[in-house]
Amino acid sequence: MSEAVTPLELDGIGKRFGRLSVLRGVDLRVEAGEVVGLIGANGSGKTTLLNIAVGLLAPTEGERRLGGRRAPQVELADRMRIAFVTHTTQLYPRLTARENLRLFAELRAAAGDAAALPDPLLERLGLAHAADRMVGTFSRGMMQRLALARALQGRPQLLLLDEPFTALDRPGRERLAEVLVEERAAGLAVLLSSHDYDAVVAVTDRVVLLEGGRLGGEARRGEGPEAAGYRDRVAALGLLRPSAGVDGRAEEAARA
Amino acid sequence: MGRLIPVVLLAIAAVVFPLSVETIFLDVGIERQLGTVQKIFYFHVPLAWIMMLYGVVCGIAAAVQLRRQSRGAEAIAIAAGEMVIVAGLGVLITGPIWGHASWGKAWTWDARQISTGLLWLVFVAYVLVRRYGAAGSERLAAALAIFGAVDVPIIYYAVKIWKTTHPSNEVVVSLPPEMWAALWPALGALLATATALVAIRARQELCEMELDDAWVRAEDPSVGTKGETT
Amino acid sequence: MRLPRQAWLLAKNDLRQELRDLELLATAGFFTLVVLVMFGLSFASLGRKVQPLAIPGMLWLAVAFVGTLTLTRIFDREREADTLRALLTAPVERVAIYVSKAFVTLLVLLGCCLILVPGLVFMFPAAQVMAEQPLRTAALVVLGCTSYAAVGTVFAAGLATSSGKNVLLSVILYPLTSPALMWSLVATRALLERHPDLPTYLAQLAALDVLLVVLGGWLFESVLVGTARSATASGRARGRRR
Repeated sequence: MSEAVTPLELDGIGKRFGRLSVLRGVDLRVEAGEVVGLIGANGSGKTTLLNIAVGLLAPTEGERRLGGRRAPQVELADRMRIAFVTHTTQLYPRLTARENLRLFAELRAAAGDAAALPDPLLERLGLAHAADRMVGTFSRGMMQRLALARALQGRPQLLLLDEPFTALDRPGRERLAEVLVEERAAGLAVLLSSHDYDAVVAVTDRVVLLEGGRLGGEARRGEGPEAAGYRDRVAALGLLRPSAGVDGRAEEAARA
Repeated sequence: MGRLIPVVLLAIAAVVFPLSVETIFLDVGIERQLGTVQKIFYFHVPLAWIMMLYGVVCGIAAAVQLRRQSRGAEAIAIAAGEMVIVAGLGVLITGPIWGHASWGKAWTWDARQISTGLLWLVFVAYVLVRRYGAAGSERLAAALAIFGAVDVPIIYYAVKIWKTTHPSNEVVVSLPPEMWAALWPALGALLATATALVAIRARQELCEMELDDAWVRAEDPSVGTKGETT
Repeated sequence: MRLPRQAWLLAKNDLRQELRDLELLATAGFFTLVVLVMFGLSFASLGRKVQPLAIPGMLWLAVAFVGTLTLTRIFDREREADTLRALLTAPVERVAIYVSKAFVTLLVLLGCCLILVPGLVFMFPAAQVMAEQPLRTAALVVLGCTSYAAVGTVFAAGLATSSGKNVLLSVILYPLTSPALMWSLVATRALLERHPDLPTYLAQLAALDVLLVVLGGWLFESVLVGTARSATASGRARGRRR
């Protein structure tokens, strides 16, 4: 974990579908032990960018580097170190929680990499009581946590989260934030997209704004006293309005 | 240079084609058994060869497109796939006319007829997928073309066996040398035309891609003047 | 070792889900029965002599219909909860996904043939040969269904990853699988006519299966994910922009 390679580097990424240009010249690096938030309106290209990072889409132009190496294709060895969680959760509804985890753990083991045991992970994400229930009976929030458990069981170096906070209630969000903080301390690089202002401010070290397919600004948490102004700097990017709590409203009023 | 080739090919075809028509209808004798209708052979056979040729070209170009993400290959694949349909239509129209005269039946389920028909269907499917498929279906269409090209010999061989287990009324016309001599110019003219059309269509397709590029660039707020006003 | 192991894990996973609700087998089996009844109604009066010409067509047309239904459903399952993308981003060989899906499709098709073949034998005297030569019939059915599954899996998967438009599956599949079905037709008729060349046809069908499976496995990843343009090509494209 101590090696200083950058888990994800995107250099001049552009993606087009015919005349529709979804991304243009996006440069983005995510370092080990860094949580980066990706914010932007619907259709600004967040999901496309994450899909390119994980290799589900090939960029039309630009270069993708994973762990310091050029990756025109995301090979199996790369996929060992990357985990991807989306709001669609991607779990088999006809399998139990434990079976879902076990399937992917066994697939990983067959590829030559031992995965973490399911039970401690289920415990950690508060799903131990539901381990043998069919996932089809889960609430959205539970599925989201199970999807995260599956992502973490491979001990990835890079975690990509597409709207991880939607469908999570407050305790769920807090637990997710806790998990992210712990994993960050262990050196995990995280790139997450979100609409949720409070959650983004709480867990990220840096926020980048995606606007019409290109990077439209950035805010850093910074060290020491600077960190206090992070909320404002994120708000100043202009997209996310502080939504919940008296705090937020006061801030907004102050800005107006 | 690239623009010139189709023009040259078309010019050659424009000269050769009338000459070949003259040879076919005035110089070569009328076939004794079939009569004048046999003349259709000089158009039918070249069209069939052109169809097979461009079927294979489309498959190969599609394979290059998949492996290399090459725009040029994609454009050629599209153009060749459409040429298969056009030439195939010619084959499927001239074939039954000839068959009707020689066998007394327009369609006899002969090996060549079925393989031509199925190949034609495969490439119609290719064009349908390209036209109506969702984003990303250009890769699916490419795989379709590759399978289609591989299918050509398989279909042919399968139908041949299918028929040999069963007596067929196939009439094999053995050609005197003068007929072959008349065939080559016709083939040359038609092939030149087809190649020119494919080249033009491929170029058109490339232009369309470039136009998309230009469109995207014009919309790009950081490049155009539109962005500065906002 | 990785490829067969992962393929087996994935197939086992599909089978486990299938055993929980038997949805694929029940719908495909019922559909087979319906098609069989329709064939019976339409062709029951065929003379004994022409039956060997019609039965191969009935068998393989039914397989083609059921195959489309099955392939659509198998990949719909992966699409419902977007699990196909989870498999594509996991450290799983893409070819293992192909092999497992083709295998499950094959199993469902064989299950349908367990209804189809006895049904044909029951309805048509000319099909009796199939009952007399069960091993050859089984070999024929397995080889024929394999070729269909080998081609079908690539395109069903490709359509499942792009958005919507599953109607295109039949547009693609029927022309493309026709050579494989032609071979199966040839071999089936040889079987019904007790043709001495049947083993040769079966061997050729097996060779065709190998070719189609290899081609399908080779194309599967490119169809589903695609590769980035080569560095030079994207470099040129960017150079032009500036």
